[in-house]
Amino acid sequence: MSKNHLGEFEEIVLLTVAVLADEAYGISIIDEIETRLNRSVSIGSLQTVLRRLEKKGYLESNLGEATSVRGGKRKRYFQLTTYGKKVLQETKEQRMSLWNAIPDLSIN
Amino acid sequence: MNSERYHSFWAIRFFRWYCHPDFAEDLEGDLYERYSRNSEKSEQIARLTLIKDVIKLFRPALMRPLFNSKFQNNTSMFKNYFKSAFRSFAKNLSFTLLNVLGLSVGLATTLLILQYVKYEKSYDTFHSQIDNIYRIQYNIIQDNQLIVECAAAVPAVGPALADNFEEVEKFTRLFPRSGIISYNDPEKGLISFREEKMQITDPRVFEVFDFKLLKGNPKTSLEGLNKTVISERAAQKYFGNSDPIGKRILYNGETEYEVTGIFENVPDNSHIKFDFLFSFETLNQQSNNESETNWGWYDFNTYVLMKPGTDIEEFQGKWDNYLAEVRGEDWEHRNYKSEFILRPAKEIHLHSNLLQESEPAEQGDAEAVYFLTVIAIFILIIALINYINLSTAKSIERAKEVGVRKVMGGEKSQLIKQFLVESFLINVLAMAIALMIIAISWNAFLNLTGRDIPLDYLLSADFAGLVISLILLSSILSGAYPAWVLSSFKPVSVLKGKLLGSASGNILRKGLVIFQFSASIILIIGTLVVYNQLAFMKSQDLGIDIKSTLVLEGPAVTNDSLYGQYLETFKTKANQISGVEAVSAASNVPGDEIFWTRGIRKLVNGAVNSLTVYNMGIDHDYVPTFDLKVIAGRNFSKDFPNDNERVLLNRELAAMLDFESPEAAIGEKVILGRDTMEVAGVLENYHQMSLKNKVKPLVFRLFESRSFISLKLNEKNTDNIIAELRGPWNQIFPNNPIDYFFLDSFFNKQYESDQQFGQVFTLFSMLAIIIACLGLFGLSSYLTLKRSKEIGIRKVLGSSVNNIVYLLSKGFLSLVLVANIIAWPLAWFIMNGWLNSFPYRIDMNPLFFLAAALSVVFIALLSVGYQTVKAAITNPVQSLRNE
Repeated sequence: MSKNHLGEFEEIVLLTVAVLADEAYGISIIDEIETRLNRSVSIGSLQTVLRRLEKKGYLESNLGEATSVRGGKRKRYFQLTTYGKKVLQETKEQRMSLWNAIPDLSIN
Repeated sequence: MNSERYHSFWAIRFFRWYCHPDFAEDLEGDLYERYSRNSEKSEQIARLTLIKDVIKLFRPALMRPLFNSKFQNNTSMFKNYFKSAFRSFAKNLSFTLLNVLGLSVGLATTLLILQYVKYEKSYDTFHSQIDNIYRIQYNIIQDNQLIVECAAAVPAVGPALADNFEEVEKFTRLFPRSGIISYNDPEKGLISFREEKMQITDPRVFEVFDFKLLKGNPKTSLEGLNKTVISERAAQKYFGNSDPIGKRILYNGETEYEVTGIFENVPDNSHIKFDFLFSFETLNQQSNNESETNWGWYDFNTYVLMKPGTDIEEFQGKWDNYLAEVRGEDWEHRNYKSEFILRPAKEIHLHSNLLQESEPAEQGDAEAVYFLTVIAIFILIIALINYINLSTAKSIERAKEVGVRKVMGGEKSQLIKQFLVESFLINVLAMAIALMIIAISWNAFLNLTGRDIPLDYLLSADFAGLVISLILLSSILSGAYPAWVLSSFKPVSVLKGKLLGSASGNILRKGLVIFQFSASIILIIGTLVVYNQLAFMKSQDLGIDIKSTLVLEGPAVTNDSLYGQYLETFKTKANQISGVEAVSAASNVPGDEIFWTRGIRKLVNGAVNSLTVYNMGIDHDYVPTFDLKVIAGRNFSKDFPNDNERVLLNRELAAMLDFESPEAAIGEKVILGRDTMEVAGVLENYHQMSLKNKVKPLVFRLFESRSFISLKLNEKNTDNIIAELRGPWNQIFPNNPIDYFFLDSFFNKQYESDQQFGQVFTLFSMLAIIIACLGLFGLSSYLTLKRSKEIGIRKVLGSSVNNIVYLLSKGFLSLVLVANIIAWPLAWFIMNGWLNSFPYRIDMNPLFFLAAALSVVFIALLSVGYQTVKAAITNPVQSLRNE
């Protein structure tokens, strides 16, 4: 098995960051997950996962401009690293190989 | 949206306080964005969401470090200490377990004993004025000899103190009573029980002491004739849930008392206990005011409350002078002298051992408490030594680690910290297990000590404080030396691979093992001595036959003038029951303290000093029933109608009265109290009380005693006999509950506290030995491991298994032998001192020492043996293969 095992929530966060491209920061990620997956996420749980993924090297972040909407605080934008992309790709392939291996009978 | 309110909101301030500075900015941005978005809808929801978010963000990953960044390096170093400690525990799991196990048993024992000690010292401390309360001890001195030391004084002392000395604020007297209390319940009928814990007292008892009156007026409840206040317990027993106030109870079927109050049950840690208090005026009436003025009737526990700050020694002097002045004439006249000494009430439980103590069976013993404290400290030290020994022995293995740390720049102080953290962790773990041990063994411990220590003791802040300080103390005691040894290794020599078995370390280790085993041996010898002394006291011929004797407590409710006839009828009926051999009524049975004293002297011309002696009222059948030996003269006999003017003496008294021989006493006249009596016979001495007391002078006279009726049985099936007794009993002594006991177990109750002391001693010596052996086991397994190559080579060169086992065990055995040599004289000295407190004692038997030595050698061999034999039978290939 690959060493780069992704948890379910980690995978969702990584994918969402990829979806949002250059606009991925805390609140926007939460909004995106909420609208697309109809799943509520607290800032706390999201942020710990983001820091963990950053520490593992799947994500990198940089601070943006301060805006008044945020009370003069800057946003932290997250992007996938090359390594992160590779891990996502790997995960997808693993899933696909499993899907492909299912004989036709068992679903439908 | 109000930004000021946002910034001063507690949730956001809390967030700013805990959040890691690296994340604070963008996280707060997120929070703010969400908050402002929500607050457009509703401020309420926005605030709630914010609180929820802040709480959910409160997680370790996002928190600031525990200490300011200045100390950040230190903190991470500390974290590293913990990490490396856990790693080294995991690596040496069995050693860690041995350490933790030994320490936890040691800590648990210490904590338990300290709770017991605390409880023993807590007696009577619930009285707020206890420091100023004194009990009057009564001494009688005759011919310059102290012959009576009594806890109860005479009734006139209290008023004499309070009326003549301004230092005395108040006094109160308690006069103990026992008897049958009955209550005629309109619904349930007659309820009656024998009550042992009753006192006659005055209202000031509630002012001097802190006994709490729940119902009734403390000032007036005990005023007037025939009033009583009762405990909650008694109220429940007689009146159930109905209100006892105003109800009437009957004492011994003759005196009626009105219940005027209820007091809270007397706490377990009170030296005096009672369920009923009767008004003193009743006694004054019954005794024609003797109970206010008498100077010879010593049955009154008298307590005085002194003004705070009174110099008691000085006061005692003043009081003694006063007494000499007022009483001197009377003393001279009757040839005695009395002393009334103020004794601090808080010292009664542990330090007092007088006649007529309120709760003689419960009296504590300061010496036993002291002994136990010493044992607790010993056990803790033995456990700490285990840790020290095992960790210094293991030090060689960690020498490389120390070397590397030092090369990388580790300072000595850092290394010391690291090893102290290790010992701290071990101790915390051990304490956790110790607390579990305490929780599990608490009830067994209470049984063992015979005290009802409240569970609150374990839940108090004091206990928590004790636990924490014990952890710190034992961490430092156990960790300091190993930390110092380990941190002083020289990196160059260590890393070069030079093994350092420091000579001083070895000597210390040996010394500690010797100490452990000396302590264990002393404890074993102590146990043997205590048990043998107990067995000796129990097996000694008492001079009186107390076997298969059933004792009925005499009827209290009966017609005084007809009692003699009733008693005869009952004795005749009881004698007819098959299985009953003999019946006798007496004022006391063996094991029951005699309170009845009188002066006695020979009737001769000229002045002869009178002696105060113990009196017993017996009947004609007492001597044969208890198989007493008449050494001169004869027993009381119905053939001599004048025998009620004659007395029997015991040998001790005959000698004290200066009769040349027992025979010489026969027919002589003595003056007993105010009566002139003739000596009819002399009985061989027998033990009225346990062998902890000397045989006292006794005089016996014919008397229709109401206290005890003893039945000598010759059949095992006592249930039938008791059942058959009920018929005649209820017929002859109606309204008296039938209460009985077996004389041998009653007598042996006197040894109960010693028995407990013995059990406690045994338990703790076993624990001490187990802990010491755990240590020895660890040490031997480690040292054997170190020598496995040597053993391999020896075997290759032709050593036999026996040779090797001998070689390996020799070192340990010689330590145990040295320990024996040190322990023997100490044990002899301590235990001989203990035995000296008994008037009838065993001699120190060399067998005790031998047995202790052999058992310790045996146990040591067992714990060393497993390792050595294993090492000796290992195939040398195993140990020599790898280099």
